[in-house]
Amino acid sequence: MNSIFTHSRGHGNLRGGMALVKATWASWVQYRSFFFILAFGWMIQPLIYLLVWTTAAGGKTIGGLNRGEFVAYYLVLILVNQITYSQTNWTIGDLVRYGQMNRLLIRPLSPFYDTLSSEMAGKVVYMIFDLPIVLVLALILRPEMYVTPINLLAFIPALLLAWALRFFWGYWLALLAFWATRADALLALQDSLVFLLAGQVAPVALLPGALRTAAVILPFRYMVGFPVEVLTGQVNTPGLIMGFVIQTGWLVLALVLTAVFWRLGLRRYSAVGG
Amino acid sequence: MTVPQITVQGLSKIYRVPVRAEGLRASLKSLIKRTYNDVHAVLDVSFAIESGEIVGLIGPNGAGKTTTLKILTGLLHPTTGLARVAGFIPWQRKHAYLRQISMVMGNKSQMIWDIPPMDSFRVLGEIYSVPSSQFKQTLDELIDLLDMQELLTKPVRNLSLGERMKCELVAGLLYRPVVMFLDEPTLGLDVSMQLRLRRFLAEYNRKSGVTILLTSHYMADVMALCPRVILIHHGKLLYDGELGALAQKMAPFKLVRITLGAENGSVSREIPLPAGVEITQRENNLLTLRVGRAEAPSVTAQLLQSLPVADLTVEDPPIEAVIDQVYMEGGV
Repeated sequence: MNSIFTHSRGHGNLRGGMALVKATWASWVQYRSFFFILAFGWMIQPLIYLLVWTTAAGGKTIGGLNRGEFVAYYLVLILVNQITYSQTNWTIGDLVRYGQMNRLLIRPLSPFYDTLSSEMAGKVVYMIFDLPIVLVLALILRPEMYVTPINLLAFIPALLLAWALRFFWGYWLALLAFWATRADALLALQDSLVFLLAGQVAPVALLPGALRTAAVILPFRYMVGFPVEVLTGQVNTPGLIMGFVIQTGWLVLALVLTAVFWRLGLRRYSAVGG
Repeated sequence: MTVPQITVQGLSKIYRVPVRAEGLRASLKSLIKRTYNDVHAVLDVSFAIESGEIVGLIGPNGAGKTTTLKILTGLLHPTTGLARVAGFIPWQRKHAYLRQISMVMGNKSQMIWDIPPMDSFRVLGEIYSVPSSQFKQTLDELIDLLDMQELLTKPVRNLSLGERMKCELVAGLLYRPVVMFLDEPTLGLDVSMQLRLRRFLAEYNRKSGVTILLTSHYMADVMALCPRVILIHHGKLLYDGELGALAQKMAPFKLVRITLGAENGSVSREIPLPAGVEITQRENNLLTLRVGRAEAPSVTAQLLQSLPVADLTVEDPPIEAVIDQVYMEGGV
């Protein structure tokens, strides 16, 4: 049976996949300004909450964070949110709905690479926009952050896992497009939950009791908030280990669901047509 | 005896389609208990195509052409039946199979929209694992045949429809597939571009020996390219054979055109005609008659005796008229 990475029996096609990534990047760069506007839109929400919390903190601390620490938290969050946001999940449903999946399926390369190549192209283009802005904001807003080598070292895997989790969690939801024509409503729901529970409205530590427990258990914190907390030194060692365990657990589930829905989805697609 | 490049045996595809009645109550009811209709998109179709043949797959909209092509390209599982293309079972979709076939569609594009065709070709070369020396040679040949050197560096979105179709053909042939499926390749193209594409396909087929299965609604495409046609209608195979013989089989009549001599030019005069003969057109002293195929010789003999005929021809009806009749009536 077809696996998502190889898409048919036999070997994957990494060479073809990489060529696709390069070409996709070349075509995305042509629309820099369009993607800059998108990136600007995604930056607005964390910026608003940055202003809300720094104003609220004033000269005091809230939940152990002072004004400068809130600035640091949200500036890192802007970058992490952008790096982990998988806009490509939104286009998978369109591929199925508008019959473009056919074109991808008759190639000896999994359609998964098309999504992955847009994903990677996007990250680069968005960072070209985000990094300078965050730097300028940092100069103006004076964040306070004490990064230990351990925090930095833990941040990198936490960020990569966060990206993978957010991407594959959205991917399996998007694959429901094989059965329901408007599966992207579920992606909108995911975005809302990320907004509430992943540390955007407030750092997870500041959420009220039950909501905080939900945030710690559910996958959404591990898509954005967790790596930010790690880098800004809000997580102690047991919390760090626990965090990685939960993050990895959700990622494994997301990968399994993606593989299962891909297989079932293709079976259905080849039974009823696109 | 060689094994045919494409073999199809007893192929059927049945879709289960939920029945949707009109109105709110009916749609609520269908949420609880759905009733289904079986739609036979393809019904017990069999044929074999030899390596190097160009075959036209024709039929009206909704006849089952696209379903057949989707099954042969591996996109659809048939409900029952067998198919083998280039030695593979298409719906297993092995990479080795997908490298052997290509599907060029008049209404879908392989090209990446915002970058020049050359870049898309390179990506496709990588996806299909074409060795770089072969890639260059094939590309040069195709570009030469299609006369499109100047298109390579413009972004695809700036190309005309005809120029884009040339690119699609290059994209579909870069990796030297042995079987090519062409779905409406001349859709929307102007007459001279249609002509050039047909010439290209004929020449490429002759040079490379690629097997081509083509669907088109332009009979000109089919007449120019396909010595053999397969006609399907309502999912069933109605005819498989020479295009020329289709008229004989499907249209049981001939057209007799007569030019009357000058002294009988008056239109008002009643013309005595044998029984079973129908005038389809009458213009001054030119008459077109529809005569049963079997009666044609005796009727012409009678006409020559009874009328002052200056000129007489007996023809098969134009292929479009035959096809139209088949499409409308579902066979004769």
